Amino acid sequence: MTVVVIGGGHNGLAAAFYLARAGLKPIVIEQRSTVGGGAITGELQPGFKCPTLTHHAAIGSDIAAEMDLARHGLDVLRPVVDVFIPAPDGPAAVMYVDAARTADALRPTAPRDAEAFLKYRAAMTAVGGVVEALLTAPPPDVDSLDPRDLWNLLGVGRRFRALGKQDAYRLLRWAPMPVADFVTEWFESPLLRAAVCGSGVSGTMLGPRSAGSTLVHLLRDAHRRMSGGRMQVRGGPGALTQAMAAAARGAGADIRVGSRVDRIAVANGAVTAVTVDGRDIASDAVVSAADPKATCLGLLDPLDLSPDFLSKMGNVRSAGTVAKVNLALSALPSFGAANAELLSGSIHIGPDVDAIEHAFDHAKYGELSEEPWLDVTIPSVLDPSLVPPGAHVMSVYVHYAPYRLRGASWDLMKEMVLTRTMAMLERYAPGIGALVIAAEVITPAELESTYGFVGGHMFHGELSIDQLFTMRPLLGFGGYSTPVRGLYLCGSGTHPGGFMSGVSGKLAVNAVLTGMKR
Amino acid sequence: MTREYDVIVIGGGHNGLTAAAYLARAGRKVLVLERRHVLGGAAVTEEVFPGFKFSVCSYVVSLLRPEIIRELDLTRHGLEILPLDGTFTPMPDGNHLWRMNDHARTRREITRHSRVDAEAYDEYGKAMVDMGRFVKPILTMLPPDPTSIHPRDLRKLLFLVERFRDLSRQDQYNLVQLMTMSAVDFLDQWFETDVLKATMSASGIIGTFLGVRSPGTAYVLLHHYMGEIDGAFRSWGLSRGGTGAISESIASAARLAGVEIRTQAAVAGITIRDNIARGIVLDNGDEIAAKVVASSLDPRQTFVRFIDRGVLPADFQDDIDRYKFRGSSGKVNLALDALPDFTCMPGTGAHLRGAISISPSVDYMERAYDSAKYGRFSRRPYIDVVIPSLTDPSVAPPGKHVMSCFVQYAPYDLREGTWDEKREEFGDTVIQTLAEYAPNLPGIVRDRQVLTPLDLEREWGLSEGNIFQGELTLEQLFFLRPAPGWSQYRTPVSQLYMCGSATHPGGGIMGAPGRNAALRILADTK
Repeated sequence: MTVVVIGGGHNGLAAAFYLARAGLKPIVIEQRSTVGGGAITGELQPGFKCPTLTHHAAIGSDIAAEMDLARHGLDVLRPVVDVFIPAPDGPAAVMYVDAARTADALRPTAPRDAEAFLKYRAAMTAVGGVVEALLTAPPPDVDSLDPRDLWNLLGVGRRFRALGKQDAYRLLRWAPMPVADFVTEWFESPLLRAAVCGSGVSGTMLGPRSAGSTLVHLLRDAHRRMSGGRMQVRGGPGALTQAMAAAARGAGADIRVGSRVDRIAVANGAVTAVTVDGRDIASDAVVSAADPKATCLGLLDPLDLSPDFLSKMGNVRSAGTVAKVNLALSALPSFGAANAELLSGSIHIGPDVDAIEHAFDHAKYGELSEEPWLDVTIPSVLDPSLVPPGAHVMSVYVHYAPYRLRGASWDLMKEMVLTRTMAMLERYAPGIGALVIAAEVITPAELESTYGFVGGHMFHGELSIDQLFTMRPLLGFGGYSTPVRGLYLCGSGTHPGGFMSGVSGKLAVNAVLTGMKR
Repeated sequence: MTREYDVIVIGGGHNGLTAAAYLARAGRKVLVLERRHVLGGAAVTEEVFPGFKFSVCSYVVSLLRPEIIRELDLTRHGLEILPLDGTFTPMPDGNHLWRMNDHARTRREITRHSRVDAEAYDEYGKAMVDMGRFVKPILTMLPPDPTSIHPRDLRKLLFLVERFRDLSRQDQYNLVQLMTMSAVDFLDQWFETDVLKATMSASGIIGTFLGVRSPGTAYVLLHHYMGEIDGAFRSWGLSRGGTGAISESIASAARLAGVEIRTQAAVAGITIRDNIARGIVLDNGDEIAAKVVASSLDPRQTFVRFIDRGVLPADFQDDIDRYKFRGSSGKVNLALDALPDFTCMPGTGAHLRGAISISPSVDYMERAYDSAKYGRFSRRPYIDVVIPSLTDPSVAPPGKHVMSCFVQYAPYDLREGTWDEKREEFGDTVIQTLAEYAPNLPGIVRDRQVLTPLDLEREWGLSEGNIFQGELTLEQLFFLRPAPGWSQYRTPVSQLYMCGSATHPGGGIMGAPGRNAALRILADTK
C-alpha cells in the first residue's frame, strides 16, 4: 500500500521509517532540494557550515535507537554547559548540564541560589517524568475513550500519583504560571532567573510574564530528557535529518526531493491521490508533516472540509515571533572572560526578566524589538568540522520578530534585524562586529515563503494550553487524523509538538495503521 | 469574660456574614467580629463627604448567588438590585460604542461599527450562555483533590470529565479556549471591531495583574453571562443604597437567625493549642473561645498576622508565602456638582446611567498594563465609571452626583516613590484621562477620595490591595485556592476554616465562598 508523506522534515522522515517498517510503501515528497525541513545545515560561506534554522537539533532516544541512527551516521555531541548568560557588568552566570557543578559554581556568590538550584533540578526531574509520559503517549479521543487510550492515560495517571502530593500539585500549579513567577519562587539572581525564563519563551509569542510560559519550560525540559539530555549533532542539524533519511531509505522509503505537492485529491470524503508536480500519485493514505494550516488550508479543496473546520483551522495561532541570524566569524568572540567550554551550550543575551519582557512588549504591537532578546549557540565550539581552523559560526534566534509587522514590511526590516542583533551582541562580546565574515538573516516572512512554515512559526503553531495535547492542532483532531479519511498530520503542529523528538511522526504512523485496520 | 460560641467568624464582609447566617440558621451560636466601625468589608457604603454616599470599594453587583438571595430571603431584608443599563465607551476620535441591555439597539449600534460583528454578537452570546451552564455548578462545588484516591474526589473528577464529554464539540472547544486563552485572542476569533474587543476584554483583567493579551484572561468574559442564566437579574446591577446595602441585608438575615455581630472588634490572633483552634484574641486582649473559627480574611491576614510562625506546617507556610496578591487597581470616588458632558455624546442622556468604560482600543488597554509590569501606574489607565446617583438619587444631595471610578493599573509595588507620595498624582491622572473625553469634569469635581492599593490594604485589610483576596489566575483557582490541597475551606489547623474570597470560587460580591464554607463546617461538625 502506498502512503505519500508530505514534507521531509524530521517528523516526515520518522513517519516514513515507521511506515516502511510496517510494510507499507512510503513516498516522501520534499519541496526543497534537500530533506530536513527546519533541521538543516547550510553553508554560509565556503567552508562555514551553520544550522540554517533550528540550532537545537534533537531526537528521542528510543526513536534514534529504533532507527539505528548511529549506524546511519548520527554522531551526538554532549555539551557540558546548558546556558551561559553574561551580565552587562560583572560576572556571568552558568547553568551546567550537571546540577552539582552548577551549584558549585553558584555557591561562592549566591549560596542560597546554589542550594535552590539542586532542589529545582530534583523537582524538575520528578515532574518531568510525568510530562514525558504525557508527551510520548498518544492523546486520547475525548468522545470515545478507546481501551488503549485509557490504558495509556492510566499509565500517566499512575506516574502522576506516584509523584506524591507535593510534586503532583507543583505540576498542576506550575503549568499555567508565568515563568517569571516560577523563577521568582526559586532564585534570587537576576541572571539565573533570566536564564530559566528564556526556556519558557524561546520560539513563542509569550513573554516571561505571560501565563503558560512555565508550561513551555516544562515541555522543553521534558523533550530534552527524551533525547537523553542536551545534545548537538556533529555536522549540524542537517546531519541528523540526513541520518534519518538514510534510515528511512534503508527501511524501504522512497524519498523524492525537489518535488512539490500541488494538492491532495479527495473523493467521497477520503484521500485518493496526491498531485506532485502536476502528476497524480495514487495513495491509500497521506501523512503530512507540513504544518496543519499548510496542509488543510493549502493543499485541500475547501469544499472537502466543513466551514466550521476551516474557520477553526484558520484560527489556530501560528504567527511566528522569531527571526534567525547566522554569522560566520573569523575567531571566537570574547564574552568577557568566558572560555570556549562556557560557550558550548546556549548563550542568552538579556540579563534579567525585564529585559526579555521589554523585548516582548514590542511584539504585542507588531514591532521588531528594539533591544532583542537573543538565544545564541556557537556550534563550532564543540564541532570544529563545521568551520576552517580557528573560525566559528554563530546561530542566533532573535526575539521578538512578529510575523505581522505594523506599518512596515519584512523586506524593509530585514536589515534592521541584523543591525539590532549586532548591537546587542556587541554589548556583551565587544569587537564581535569586526569578526563577521558573512551574515545571513531569515525573517518570519522567509520562514513562510522559503521554508514553508505558514505564519512563519517554527513550531507549526503556538505552544499554548489550548493548542496542546488533545487540542493540537484542534480539539477532536488530536489523534493525527483530519476530517478527510486517510489524511493524517504528523508534523510539529500535532502532539507533542514544537520541540524536536520525532514522536509526532512515530505516533502518527500508529494512527495510520489503526485507521487501515478499520 | 469569655463565652463559648460554636463559631467565631472573623470579618464582617459579605462572605463572613453569609457564612454566619447559614451557620446560625442551622442552629449554631455564631459571633461575627468586624474590625471597622461599619459592616460589609469591601462591600460597604460610606458617607465620605457630607450628603454623598459612596460604594467605597466594590461598586457593582454581578454574581451574587441567587440561591443565597432566596435562602436568606435577602429581598425581605432590604436587598434591591437596580439594573445598570449598558456600557458606554467614548472614543478619542469622537466616535463611541454604546452597548445597551436592549438587544435590538445594541445590534444596531454594533452594526454601525461592523455588520459582521453584529451577526457574531448573537452567536457569541448564545455560546457564552452555554458555557455558563457548564461552569455554574462548579461554583457551588467543593473542589476535589486531584492527587487523592478517595472515591469522593475521584467521583468529582469523573463528574467533571463526564460533564465535559456531554458538551457538544463546539462547546468543548469554546470552553477549553475560555479557560486558557487571552481575552483578546479569544475575542479576535469572533469580532473585528477594536473598541468592542477592548471593552469586552476589560472584564477579563479586572483585579488581576494581567493584560488583555495575557493568556488566562478569557475566562472572566463568562461572568458577564452567568447572571442571565439565573434569570434573577441582569448580569450587572447596582444595589439601592450602595453595595453596603447588600452587606446590611445579609447582616439583617444573620441577626434574625441569631448571629451576634460586633463592630470595632479587631482580632489580634487566633488561639491554637494542640493544633486545634480554640478561639481568638481581640486587640484589647480579650479572649473569646469557640469550637470553630472561620476566617473570611485573606490567607496573609489569617495565617501570617493571626498565627505565630512555626505553628503551621512548613510546606503550608511556604504555599501561603507564595500566594500571589499583587493588587493592581485603585478607586477614585468623586462628588460632583453636575454631570460630566462627553464630547462624543453631549448631554445627560441614558448613556450616563450605565457603566462608562475608558477602553478605547486593545492597544490602549495593553499599554496601560505595560506600565504596571514595570512598577508604574498607568499614565492612561483603564477606568470603569458608574454614576449611581442617576439610578439611585438617595446617595447624593439633590442635583448633585456621586461618581465611582475603578482604575487599573495601579500596582501595589511601585518602583519609584511610595503610594503616599503618589496618591494625588494618581488621582490627577484619572481626572485628566476622563477629561479627555468629558472636558467639563475637572470643573465639576467638589471632592475626591483617592484609594490606592496601599489604602485598600491598610483600611480594608486586603493584602497588597488585591480586591479579590488574591489573584484569580489559573494556578490559584479551584483546587489550588488558596493553597494546593486546602481548597475545601479547611486548613492544617483543626477547627480553623477559611470562608472569604481567597477560597473557591473566589472574589466578587458572590457570597459563594461564605455559603460553601458554612456547609463544609456544618458537615464537619454534625
